[in-house]
Amino acid sequence: MMKLLAQILRYQIIASLSVLFLGAILFFVSVRYLIDDEVNKELINSQVKVSWQLKHIDTLPVYILQLGDSLQLDAVRFPARTLLRERLLYNQSENKYQPYRQLVFYERVEGQWYRVTISKLLAQRQQLMDAVVVTVTFIVALLLISLLMLNNWLSKRVWRPFYKTLSALDLYQLERHEVLEFPDEETEEFNQLNQSVMQLTKRLAATYQNLKEFTENASHEIQTPLAVILSKIEGLFQDETLTESQLVTLSEVSEAANRLSRLNQALLLLTKIENRQFLAGTEPVNFLPIINRKLRDLEDLIAQRQISIKTELEPTGPIMHPALAEVLVNNLLTNAIRHNLQNGNIFITLSDGKLAVRNTGNPVNGNPAQLFERFRKESTQSASLGLGLALAKTICEVNGQMLTYEIENDWHILTVTWQ
Amino acid sequence: MKLLLIEDEKALATSIQNYFQRENFVCEWAADYETAIEKINIYRYDCVLVDIMLPDGDGLNAVRELKRKFPETGIIIISAKNSLDDRIAGLNLGSDDYLTKPFHLSELNARVQAVIRRRNFQGNQQIGFGKIIIDPQEHLVTVENQEVILTRKEYDLLIYMIANKNRVLTKESIAEHLWGDDADLMDNFDFIYTHIKNLRKKLMDKGSPDYLKSIYGVGYKFSEQ
Repeated sequence: MMKLLAQILRYQIIASLSVLFLGAILFFVSVRYLIDDEVNKELINSQVKVSWQLKHIDTLPVYILQLGDSLQLDAVRFPARTLLRERLLYNQSENKYQPYRQLVFYERVEGQWYRVTISKLLAQRQQLMDAVVVTVTFIVALLLISLLMLNNWLSKRVWRPFYKTLSALDLYQLERHEVLEFPDEETEEFNQLNQSVMQLTKRLAATYQNLKEFTENASHEIQTPLAVILSKIEGLFQDETLTESQLVTLSEVSEAANRLSRLNQALLLLTKIENRQFLAGTEPVNFLPIINRKLRDLEDLIAQRQISIKTELEPTGPIMHPALAEVLVNNLLTNAIRHNLQNGNIFITLSDGKLAVRNTGNPVNGNPAQLFERFRKESTQSASLGLGLALAKTICEVNGQMLTYEIENDWHILTVTWQ
Repeated sequence: MKLLLIEDEKALATSIQNYFQRENFVCEWAADYETAIEKINIYRYDCVLVDIMLPDGDGLNAVRELKRKFPETGIIIISAKNSLDDRIAGLNLGSDDYLTKPFHLSELNARVQAVIRRRNFQGNQQIGFGKIIIDPQEHLVTVENQEVILTRKEYDLLIYMIANKNRVLTKESIAEHLWGDDADLMDNFDFIYTHIKNLRKKLMDKGSPDYLKSIYGVGYKFSEQ
């Protein structure tokens, strides 16, 4: 994965390098053509002068040519075609081979043909070419450096709102019914993005709220017909004309209706917690008396399964709604009893910022965190609704506590931590 | 004993009325706030059952009105709202108890009897059933002047069964009465059986007849026949 800016930079570099390269070639060719043209003109000029001199004066004056040019006369028997060529010749003053442009033509003087060769040093052209190469290279380097610097600056300065929005979205939690708000930005696109994100989170929060309210209302509405059903069943039980098999059937109906009623109540509570109806009325609670009271309430269940309980409790607790504290402690303890073994153990520790409930139990397959899922049950035979730990988890989430489930050998450990 | 039921759901009201009639209670019914206030102003009731979610007025207002005029009348709030605030508001206004819908009629019956007992005799009323005499104040159970030592759960069970004497009590209603929300902790109802068995044995050891009848597949019945 590449950053957007790095991707743009990649194309920018490729494009500018190829443009610069093509430009440099074009420049090189045109400069060379211009120089060659100029040299040719000068050579032709010299040819005219040399021809005229040869025809009218016996000896050639030394200044006839431009500085640095050289003239050579060779007597030949036949003339050939005039010819313009480039040659590497030895330059005595510079002591090395250098490119020369030569014009070779033939002239007849007093019946004798001469081959005239005018050579012109091309040192100037070479220098110009070198300058072109150096300049182009410099421009390329400058361009690359400025692109990189611009990129760096852009990502720091111009893209900052984008990264801010991104991290806000990362931290976004629907369950908190949050709407993300952003300050105005200079960049129009980022303003648009922020607006869209804000609208989206607004709609999300509203939809979520609606859904939760619907669930809550539906659960409420179910309560009354359920109450009617249960009361009618109970009335029927008192009817002494019913046969035994009718009573048994009625009893099964009653059991199912009771279960439905408990399920509905648990769901209602869960929805209410998720709707944050318990955020008002939070206060510092002390888990210690709640635990002791709960253990007393459950003593016959504990005794029946012959579970031994060990506690190490300090009077402390988090800040939360006292009713939720009851539900939380209750669910943790009943979970520890329900999933315990016959003759098992429970070890409860309560200290500053931490409540841990350990119980012996059967090994669990899979991820312990899955046990927080709703309607998660080990067996379908169980009377359990499978909502206990989901409720505990939701309570902790809403109140900003942490609930973790670990398994160490035979011990199942549920830990609540808070600040 | 005279009861007033303020409840807008007719089907539920009928069930409750029928249940209390068998108990030889007079149970009048008001379907709305208006009628309820009217009845409260005319008659005297031992206990009023109020659904606080009435269509034409807040049931809590009825509680307030009742409390102002007849502070000695017992009040039990019944509501589909399990909301804590309502519960606290109701109890603060002086209601004696709070029951969430749906509930077992036997549970409501037990609570009504407890409220009336506390109200009428400042809680000093003894409960008698056959050879059993219970002093609720002292949590003392005697059979032919011999004390029967019961556990808390056994005591609760006995009170509950006597309050609903001669009626079939389902296992669920017993479980819910004894363990409340923890009732679903029990994967079967054998557990109730243990308590019933112990209670029966303790009572019979002191010379009480066997009042506790088990009704196959359904539950139990506490009766003299």
